[in-house]
Amino acid sequence: MDGVTLSLLGFALMLVLIFLRMPIGVALFLTGAVGTWIVLGRVTPVTAQLKSLTYDAFSSYSLSIVPLFLLMGQFATRSGMSERLFRAAADWLGHMKGGVAMASVGACAGFGAVCGSSLATASTMGQVALPEMRKYGYSGRLATGVLAAGGTLGILIPPSVILVIYAILTEQNIAKMFAAALIPGLLAALGYILAVAVYARISPEDAVALPRKPIAARIRALGGVWPVVLIFGLVMWGIAGDSNWFKAGQQALFTPTEGAAVGAVLTGLYGLWTGGLNRESFVECVLSTATTTAMIFFIILGAQMFNAFLALTQTPQALAEWVGGQGFAPLTVLALMLLLYLIFGCVMDSLSMILLTIPIFFPIIESLDFGLSTEETAIWFGVIALIVVEVGLITPPVGMNLFIIHSMAKDIPVTETYRGVAPFVLTDLIRVVILIAFPAITLWLVRLMF
Amino acid sequence: MSLAPKTEARVGAILAASAKWLAVAGGMVLVALALMTVASVLGRAMIFAGLGPISGDYELVEMGVAIAVFSFLPWCQLQRGHVTVDVLADRFPVRLKLFLALVGNIALAAAAVLIAWRLGAGMEEKLPWRWAGGFAFEKNWAVEETYELGLPFWIGYALALIGAALFALTALYTVWRSVNEMAAGAERA
Repeated sequence: MDGVTLSLLGFALMLVLIFLRMPIGVALFLTGAVGTWIVLGRVTPVTAQLKSLTYDAFSSYSLSIVPLFLLMGQFATRSGMSERLFRAAADWLGHMKGGVAMASVGACAGFGAVCGSSLATASTMGQVALPEMRKYGYSGRLATGVLAAGGTLGILIPPSVILVIYAILTEQNIAKMFAAALIPGLLAALGYILAVAVYARISPEDAVALPRKPIAARIRALGGVWPVVLIFGLVMWGIAGDSNWFKAGQQALFTPTEGAAVGAVLTGLYGLWTGGLNRESFVECVLSTATTTAMIFFIILGAQMFNAFLALTQTPQALAEWVGGQGFAPLTVLALMLLLYLIFGCVMDSLSMILLTIPIFFPIIESLDFGLSTEETAIWFGVIALIVVEVGLITPPVGMNLFIIHSMAKDIPVTETYRGVAPFVLTDLIRVVILIAFPAITLWLVRLMF
Repeated sequence: MSLAPKTEARVGAILAASAKWLAVAGGMVLVALALMTVASVLGRAMIFAGLGPISGDYELVEMGVAIAVFSFLPWCQLQRGHVTVDVLADRFPVRLKLFLALVGNIALAAAAVLIAWRLGAGMEEKLPWRWAGGFAFEKNWAVEETYELGLPFWIGYALALIGAALFALTALYTVWRSVNEMAAGAERA
């Protein structure tokens, strides 16, 4: 049996195991280990490799950014930032038709600037905004739909855990990836707000307007959001900005990992200051961080094992060569990949999809000519892939954000949430097409800053 | 048929308490790393005032994060934190779904035991002394150390092994838990 056939068998077996409810990390780890054993014909290289493989996988400086950003997000959820963001956004937007729903989008975007995870953003903002929207008579369909969609802003707007992992997998600069994701993230928020506006025009009874707040009160409400602005500004500027004032040549203030540490410490201090963080909630933060970190790192470990097996069989190169030899148009290949993400996104979580597909897709993307430099292609593809896998979070049957919001409003049937989220999915798809047609939108800030 | 459900509950309570304690300890390591990193950044920014970065900060982060992640694994497993794709299994009868969970836990336990066993073997190679039969030990001349601080790697491995060993134990326990859940016909919350 040749390597390519073997790796295809391994891939099929791994998918069957995953669909039979085996934890994704375990399915990857075991098929990878057994596959390597078969390719090499002996088990000793595998057991020898395992002496250091797990420790090396977990003791990575670049990956340490993941638990730090998760901890920062946990501190942010308990520091009262979400209430203040929502208050300020509602004071400014509430008087418009659908204004409270628009305010939820704005607050999600703001929260996404200190939190790198969609699920945390959806659950935190849901707790704040859902009761408010219900209080003002917004329909359950719109209220749950907008929050499920708004949650994805947590990961589109930097910092973003998945973007970090993409950058590490493809050896790209994390700061540049964050800079590239910022404008598409803001466009996403804008698209969601427009979707709410259209929705409110079509069915005005779903989304009433509140009385206009006086300007003085609005400005006072803005005072509550300064910590978010300050922490986001410092972390992003520290990672990507130039602090080499006296000499030529760009010099960032700190590395992305250091930026995550600074963000976590500042957010934690802010939580202590507002009183949201006490001994009890601190332990809760740590335990949630522990669960998510362990889950992510176990999948990363499994993916490393599996990708080592794929690399041994030389399948990724063979596939890239084959695609290159067929003379497909680059955009056709890209469209097919994104379609695959959309289909798999309906049943799989986004991190596993990125870890599984990037080692195979990335060499193919690199070999195609999109009229951009290699680095720009990598950055652009990463942002688009991130958006498309995130659509999976809000599409049935397995949209984690939908479930999280549904668990907070059990009286609203989940089918209503499915309907409510549809307009937002539509804006996601339109945005993807625009970003593919105009790579300059994604790359503009990167070109400007670096 | 359930397998000693009372003993299982007692073992589960002990494991849950230890896993929680270990996860919190790992979290403290993470918080300490964050604070140290901030101190190092501040020191580096104030070189003009005679301060400087903490030496070996990268090495400490690498070693610390490995220890933290290993100590998070048991807690995650007890809390059913590992991602599974349930879309197909949800359409199966409950018993079959629980049986698949059992198979998943057996596979995870196998992986966890393998990881702990090999990590232990990896640590043994890095210890400063090697067992030479009977009561004799010989010096290991090739102890690996970190570059800047000269920290021996076996310390990181030894602390990581606590988490890996408890992970293997909790994974074996969740197999037991799965058997009893299958007997009861429902997954416990």
